[in-house]
Amino acid sequence: MSLVSFDNVSKFFGDVVALKDFSLEVLDREFIVLLGPSGCGKSTALRIVAGLEQPTRGNILIKDQVVNDVEPKRRDVAMVFQNYALYPHMSVYNNIAFGLRMRGLHRREIDTLVKEAAQNLGLAELLRRKPGELSGGQRQRVALGRAIVRRPVVYLMDEPLSNLDAKLRVQTRAELVKMHRLLQTTFIYVTHDQVEAMTMGDRIAILEQGLLQQVGPPQEVYDRPANVFVAGFIGSPAMNMFPAHLQTRDGDLFADSEVGSFRLDTQQAQGATDASDGEVMVGVRPEHLYVGGGEGSGAVSATIGAMVDLVEYLGNEAHVTFSRSDSTLVARLDARLKLKPAEMVPLTVLVENLHVFDQASGRRLA
Amino acid sequence: MGSSGTSAALPGPVPLTRRYPWLGELARFGGGMVFLAPSLILFAAFVFYPLAKSFYLGFFVSDPFGHGQEYVGFDQYREVLTSEDFRKSLLVTVLFVLYTVPAGLVLGLVFALMANQRLRGFLFYRTVFSSTIAASVAVAAVMWLMLLNPSAGFVNWVLGQFDLPRVNWLTDPQFRASWDSGPALMAVSLTTIWLNIGFTTLILLAALQNIPLEMYESARVDGAGPFAMLRFVTLPMISPAILFVIVVSTIIALQSFGQIHILTRGGPLDATNVIVYSIYTDAFINFEYGAAAVRAVALFLIVLAFTLVQLRFLERRVFYR
Repeated sequence: MSLVSFDNVSKFFGDVVALKDFSLEVLDREFIVLLGPSGCGKSTALRIVAGLEQPTRGNILIKDQVVNDVEPKRRDVAMVFQNYALYPHMSVYNNIAFGLRMRGLHRREIDTLVKEAAQNLGLAELLRRKPGELSGGQRQRVALGRAIVRRPVVYLMDEPLSNLDAKLRVQTRAELVKMHRLLQTTFIYVTHDQVEAMTMGDRIAILEQGLLQQVGPPQEVYDRPANVFVAGFIGSPAMNMFPAHLQTRDGDLFADSEVGSFRLDTQQAQGATDASDGEVMVGVRPEHLYVGGGEGSGAVSATIGAMVDLVEYLGNEAHVTFSRSDSTLVARLDARLKLKPAEMVPLTVLVENLHVFDQASGRRLA
Repeated sequence: MGSSGTSAALPGPVPLTRRYPWLGELARFGGGMVFLAPSLILFAAFVFYPLAKSFYLGFFVSDPFGHGQEYVGFDQYREVLTSEDFRKSLLVTVLFVLYTVPAGLVLGLVFALMANQRLRGFLFYRTVFSSTIAASVAVAAVMWLMLLNPSAGFVNWVLGQFDLPRVNWLTDPQFRASWDSGPALMAVSLTTIWLNIGFTTLILLAALQNIPLEMYESARVDGAGPFAMLRFVTLPMISPAILFVIVVSTIIALQSFGQIHILTRGGPLDATNVIVYSIYTDAFINFEYGAAAVRAVALFLIVLAFTLVQLRFLERRVFYR
């Protein structure tokens, strides 16, 4: 059952298109991540669920009810803001209790709920403090506490980790996932950080310029990006991509590019027939490039000669930038290879690891 | 190789400040004083000296040129401060503060809240409400003098439209009760509120605009209505500005002179004779500088007391970010 549905939602701010014909079904108890670069419309989508923005066109449904004109407070949603939006003049206790008070709960009931939430978040000792007396991480917990205590049907989170330092972010990421499991409630989580999206989401919805690009589980989005944008956006270092021209030789379909000529396998060849004018983009992830010849591996492969430009050691691995003709390729290699700049090496790619996109539309072909 | 090595070899003189650390302290103090000097000199000439002189003058009965003639000790202080007319002007002053400060604050808050709505033309609206800052006391007073004119004034015309009796705003001497010293004080208060409303509105509006939008959005999602947002978000967030406005407009009210001088000259029958105005009358009409000095000292202590009390009692309820 879908808990929140976007039904062809568009949102315009004057001439600016924030969201265009956006349709998405968020399932009950799902942790869905809206991912995209800044200005892609992900926050707008979240704010439309909260009722802080109204869709220009289309409908937003919560529990199968159209809520376009329903006040935020009657939607039973809780939101965690990027900068937490804590009330600086209220104690932690009162910050957490605020939503319950506004709903007219009895004082004793509020007390029980607030203390329980504070206990779960490790805030029990801090209830009398003001937000100004807390660290960034503690403030973030108060913001979470304020949402949790309400027990809403859906939690909306707008980049809640972006103000934390790197270490705390990793830690809180894991805690949020645990919290989601514990609460058994729907989370809609907005971020521009693909690591957060990959590690936390049951599904990821990727947006760009107000358009939904792809929805799917993290692995699927990574393994089979629906278009050039998703392919380039997900994964770090980014996928290597280069234009190629399709050509049939001896009954086989080849993608000829500056980097090399790749003989596509049957499945890829079948998909590639849809390409407009035979112009495609070929992509390969950095971890799918190997140093050395491809002989004897059994799989169909292509080997090209490339020159080492730059080696970035990360301890366990090295990101190596190669140049070939006018193109650059980034490979994720074993740090022990000890490659030197200006060295010529053979690079092999397994054809099954190639991604083929239509050059004109950017759509995935195979 | 460089020549810099040679100078290090020479035994340099031990700096004086290392041998006598207090010299360094003194130098720092001296340096600080140099920077403070311009404002200290100005304050001394125009504030500290006149203040001390007023205290001093209060001990003398003075000649018409303001020179102390006869030393009378505290007799003059006692005499002036226990006199009926001082008590009356003290009451008028307190009433004047009570008429102007709370009403000015509430009105300023209403205007600021209205101007803070992002409605069409709010910029024009904001300019209009802060424009009274630019009006001089004299201009404002003359304008109100015309508006309050008993026969040709706009205010009485409006009253007439509603079949209400016309009021001799500035000259009606009736004194109904201790809390109501007649229409003249009302009229002067109205002018004063009008004069200060721009300042009040602007300060409160600036404070309102500093409240992050997310705080209201968060409150909305949490279920707060407009009234709850005002009560739990807006007012606490602008409380420092409210305290500032209360303190400053109280001081302004206690020091008001121009509008009273132009509208009523302290009359009718001392109905608007606030302490500041009685100082003026004593000193420059009656040429009793000693008595005027006593009143001035009294006013100084009243302003000081008011301010301290306000800061002490209200500051506890104020939240500073």
